[in-house]
Amino acid sequence: MKSYFTRHLQVLVATLGDLVHSPTATLLTVLMIGVTLALPAGLYVGLLNLEQLSHGWHRGGSLSVYLQKGAAGQNVAATISRMKGVQSARYISPEQGLQEFEKRSGFGDALATLHHNPLPGVVVVTPDSVSPKTLATLVDALKAAPDVAHVQSNLAWLERLDAALAFGHRLVIILSGLLGLAVVLILGNTTRVAVVNRATEIDIIRLVGGTDAFIRRPFLYAGALTGGLGALCALLLLELSLMLLSGPIHRLDTLYASHYTLVGLGLGRALKLLAFGTVFGWLGARLAVGRQLRLGPR
Amino acid sequence: MIDLSHVFKRYPGGNEALNDISLSLAKGEMAFLTGHSGAGKSTLLKLICRIEQPTRGQIIVNNYNLNRLSRMRVPYFRRGIGVVFQDNKLLNDRTIFDNVALPLVVAGITGDDMRKRVQAALDKVGLLARARSYPLTLSGGEQQRVGIARAITHRPALLIADEPTGNLDAAMSDEIIDLFRDFNDHGVTVLIATHELRHIERLQKRVIALGRGHMVGAA
Repeated sequence: MKSYFTRHLQVLVATLGDLVHSPTATLLTVLMIGVTLALPAGLYVGLLNLEQLSHGWHRGGSLSVYLQKGAAGQNVAATISRMKGVQSARYISPEQGLQEFEKRSGFGDALATLHHNPLPGVVVVTPDSVSPKTLATLVDALKAAPDVAHVQSNLAWLERLDAALAFGHRLVIILSGLLGLAVVLILGNTTRVAVVNRATEIDIIRLVGGTDAFIRRPFLYAGALTGGLGALCALLLLELSLMLLSGPIHRLDTLYASHYTLVGLGLGRALKLLAFGTVFGWLGARLAVGRQLRLGPR
Repeated sequence: MIDLSHVFKRYPGGNEALNDISLSLAKGEMAFLTGHSGAGKSTLLKLICRIEQPTRGQIIVNNYNLNRLSRMRVPYFRRGIGVVFQDNKLLNDRTIFDNVALPLVVAGITGDDMRKRVQAALDKVGLLARARSYPLTLSGGEQQRVGIARAITHRPALLIADEPTGNLDAAMSDEIIDLFRDFNDHGVTVLIATHELRHIERLQKRVIALGRGHMVGAA
């Protein structure tokens, strides 16, 4: 068992040596994989940030419940505040509404000519949860409540954003699949060339009794290592992009007086990306070297 | 050790390289395989090493029935034999030591055990001092001796050589053949393909002669 690990370690060290031996070729492959993986990873980080932002918007979101004329606003507000899924309910009487409208709209004089107050009473409801499903249930419950004339959700556009984000997530998955395939192909081709270049060596190893597994091993290590290094390169590219973006984002942030900080990939997802690159690199090498060994002489 | 019965080898295109070859080589025996170029010597050795497979006929080498040997088992069969090639087949980007160690490394023998065996093999062919050199810095005869050291380092029961003295001068050539006789004295079965009749006369060993793919003379 010990010798098994020693052997693998020796191959690993020898492979690293080989990669360092041809730095230009290795660097090019690593960069190619880095750019390939940075694309879906970058898109994913963008989505993460949008989600973070939209969560902030959700928290400020509310529903406006318009009451029928002559409803006992305070009572309705109290009933609503006891309903499931409601965090708080605030009643705005028609008089308060009119005052606010006068102040904000600048139509004060025009409003003074009206004989009666056209505004209904409104209950502003802050929901517990902003998930589309619970929100829809809440809207239905509110509509069914007594004295309610109309319910308007100012969260509708956020639901649309959620749908768009879900679409984005799907896009990231598809892109990751396609670009993962690209990594397999890149390393498959690199490995194929390496196998062809070392045909004499492979021939000799076979003649002295080397198994296919023995012949494959250094190529698989090279594939996995290059894939992993490529993923590392993608992480660096991503980090660099975030650094470049943080300046403008900070300026936007101060202008909007919000407290938004840019979200990175995070350690867990970064490790996943490294594993992804390593596994796909190994896979590409495995497919290529397996094919080449089957084609070659016995 | 080697048993061929009614072996035929026809290459694509209709070239009949071997035609009904039957021969057998006992354990511990030493024999020369002779014939003009094109007689089928190399083809026969390739069949015995399972580099190629016969069109017809049965081959048993070192207790392996090569007709039934699966691709997966070929490496294990090869570890039981040592082969010296006419063109050495050395890895020029590795040291003499690493070249000779290769059959041990592929069989999973490492560390002190490997080092001792490689040194013993290099000592045997008189190249211990050149262990750290690279093949291209050696003379033709020395390179051939490295090839021999590699063929014996894993202590095979059967040693096969294809024109091992191919492009060497007479003195060096004799030295190489004497090495093989020495291995044979230690119990190794040896089969050497050569067209140099001088060795055959000098050593008085068994001769297997091929002519145009047929057995000629005594087998």
